[in-house]
Amino acid sequence: MKITRRTFLKDAGLVVGILGLSQSAVPQVAEALELLASGRAPVLWLQGQACSGCSISLLNSESPSPADLLTRYLSLYFHHTLSAATGVAARKVLEQSIADERTVLVVEGSVPAGMPKACTLGDETFNELLIRAAKGAQAVVCVGACASFGGIPAAQGNPTGALDVPTFLQQAGIEKPVINLPGCPTHPAWSVGTILHLLRGSLPELDELHRPKAYYNELLHDQCPLFAKYQIQEFARLPGEDGCLFKLGCQGAITKADCSMRGWNGGVNWCVRTRGVCVGCARPEFARDRDYPFYRIHESATNGPRDKES
Amino acid sequence: MAKVIIDPVTRIEGHLRIDTEVSNQRIVNAWSKGEMFRGFEALLKGRDPFDSPVITQRICGVCPVSHAVASCKAVENSLGIAIPENARLMRNLILGSNYIASHLTHFYQLSALDFIQAEAILKYRGSNRSLRNLRTWVEQEVASKKILPAAPFLPHLKGDYPKDQAWNFRALQHYLESLDIRKDAHTMAALFGGKMPHTASMLAGGVTTRLTPDLVENFRVRLLRIRQFIDETYLPDVLQAAKLFKNYADIGSGNAIYLAYGVFDEKDGPFLPGGLLQDGQQRPLEPKKIAEQTFHSYYREGSPRHPYQGETLPDAEKDNAYSWIKAPRYAGMPCEVGPLARLMIAYKSGVAPVRKRVATLLAQLGWQERHLNSVLGRHATRALETSIIAERMELWLDQLTLANPTVGEIPSTTSGQGAGLTEAPRGALGHWLTVEQNKIDNYQCIVPSTWNFSPAGQEGEPGPVEAALIGTPVATGSQGLEAARVVRSFDPCIACAIH
Repeated sequence: MKITRRTFLKDAGLVVGILGLSQSAVPQVAEALELLASGRAPVLWLQGQACSGCSISLLNSESPSPADLLTRYLSLYFHHTLSAATGVAARKVLEQSIADERTVLVVEGSVPAGMPKACTLGDETFNELLIRAAKGAQAVVCVGACASFGGIPAAQGNPTGALDVPTFLQQAGIEKPVINLPGCPTHPAWSVGTILHLLRGSLPELDELHRPKAYYNELLHDQCPLFAKYQIQEFARLPGEDGCLFKLGCQGAITKADCSMRGWNGGVNWCVRTRGVCVGCARPEFARDRDYPFYRIHESATNGPRDKES
Repeated sequence: MAKVIIDPVTRIEGHLRIDTEVSNQRIVNAWSKGEMFRGFEALLKGRDPFDSPVITQRICGVCPVSHAVASCKAVENSLGIAIPENARLMRNLILGSNYIASHLTHFYQLSALDFIQAEAILKYRGSNRSLRNLRTWVEQEVASKKILPAAPFLPHLKGDYPKDQAWNFRALQHYLESLDIRKDAHTMAALFGGKMPHTASMLAGGVTTRLTPDLVENFRVRLLRIRQFIDETYLPDVLQAAKLFKNYADIGSGNAIYLAYGVFDEKDGPFLPGGLLQDGQQRPLEPKKIAEQTFHSYYREGSPRHPYQGETLPDAEKDNAYSWIKAPRYAGMPCEVGPLARLMIAYKSGVAPVRKRVATLLAQLGWQERHLNSVLGRHATRALETSIIAERMELWLDQLTLANPTVGEIPSTTSGQGAGLTEAPRGALGHWLTVEQNKIDNYQCIVPSTWNFSPAGQEGEPGPVEAALIGTPVATGSQGLEAARVVRSFDPCIACAIH
């Protein structure tokens, strides 16, 4: 199908509706989609309060391989961990990337909204840099739990007033298409798939939390290999025991992500297959509440017979 | 006096700024400034102790396994939990895989571009397909009139990149090839760890993974392939870099006070032992001598504190502070940690494989022992260590007993105090924990880059990297390439250092 200007406008209307942006954003979004479709959109990748785990995870991409990504698919204008440019050269690259209005902005890490000096780069706070970069970008992709929902930096206690990127940008009055790719880290298939989708000129179908439905539509419990154990109420009460991990604290029943279908690291394993609980790292509430432990060891160990629920 | 500021230092983990003063083409003063704070220690307060391996792994996406190990050990130490043999061995194997991935990434993706003329690819006329493809891509990028063609490989700082085209081509080819090898090392870690980065199977008490023969052999076959790359590509590339940049075996010398906690637990103690090595004298590790200062860090002023008494109270506006990194000291001394420190201590302790391999390395390069204390010495010991650990991993794999348990008994103790000391790829890592009524009362981490990249201490003495930068010769009009080479040789991880 030939993509015309009208198609972009129509798509832009849909995008604006899905993302809850004002109708005045339609022409801008249409232009964004058109530029993205030309395949020339460069990627500007910024790290705020991050651990680089989502960047490292990107390098675990199976196919396309990381080398393919770097030299065939992406035009990675700036990336803190990968750019040859350092110091003055890096600052120049950053400014050129921000000035280029075709960029897709990828953000890893939360924003220290309550303590801007907790993250700085080149004499500028990350908060200021993020606003400048987002203003010029075509779309913003939040990789990982921290950028999407605040993650661990925003957990109870939150000493830096850490915020997720979409809320921070909204408070700064910036209206851009935003996609959230939660997970700690983001699975490389989710980030690569989404970026490639964008570079082909359209936004993937998103849910109400701006997550691509292709990756986050189902509870991973529904596809879990231990689901049958859950149905017959056979629960592990201590780590390493047989049975469904639900009573040990597994959050698979409330976490939307395709881990149980896709697997991790080339599909060789994933959390529950290795009999670790799902810690709900793709949930908006991941790690948030200190009274909601990942393992319910003491409760379950003293909680009646271990073989089967009565 | 000219000021040269590197901000941001890229191709490292995290947010680091390095300020230098240059006089007569030498660095005469240096400041290491960590620039990103999250407050993990504050977030851990009041949580269930079993949460801590899940949370603290997320301090760092590059070395999460080290934090998982330190955290599990701290909880086990505080609550009196013993782990089975299989858990000890699986931890070694997951950690070893993380070391391999981290060290390969550090040399090829993070450091090598300081030692390669990337533009040379345009002159490639050979028949290697991946190099031809790379050349075609760069040609297209240049022709496309992009603002930044061939990013992220270009642009780079100006400087003395090598004219040896065979080296430039080969190193670029290995940059690309190593991406798949480091990924496979993560896959190995995931076989026992569930996923990487941030594993799922490691908890206080053991490792939840069920051992099956297919899992063990899946791991072994990948390990054999990776060992071949380490020994036939990575180590030779580092040796070649050492031959091309001979001066860097004398640049970046640190204070030669080496600290290690010991890592890769075996029946008789750690495979790579802990200790303090100063003036050639080796002493046993005494953890009570560790204290953190915050005189020049963005935390409320406090006298040096042992981590059991440690606190993390941010003060972003503090006068005289210039870094978010605290300043740990051992008996008041700044110490260098990392593969160099580990291997020097193992060498002096007489660990047989280390003695033999270090002697061979020195002979191959025509180096004296003192040359190891340099930019290239750090790269070389890191590569050598990768090979030594990868070889040892086969032994640990053979020691797994399939039918035996992987998780130990978890007692109902709910209060206690304990430490988890281990080594991350970048050096000595410690977690200190106090538990009250099954809640974390205090949690403190001192991380390798906290040691290496610490700011000046109470007496004004520079941190280890600051000291190593002083004296570095720089070219006229340098933009900081020489300093960046020194900094990267320590493998900075700033998300870790500050946490």
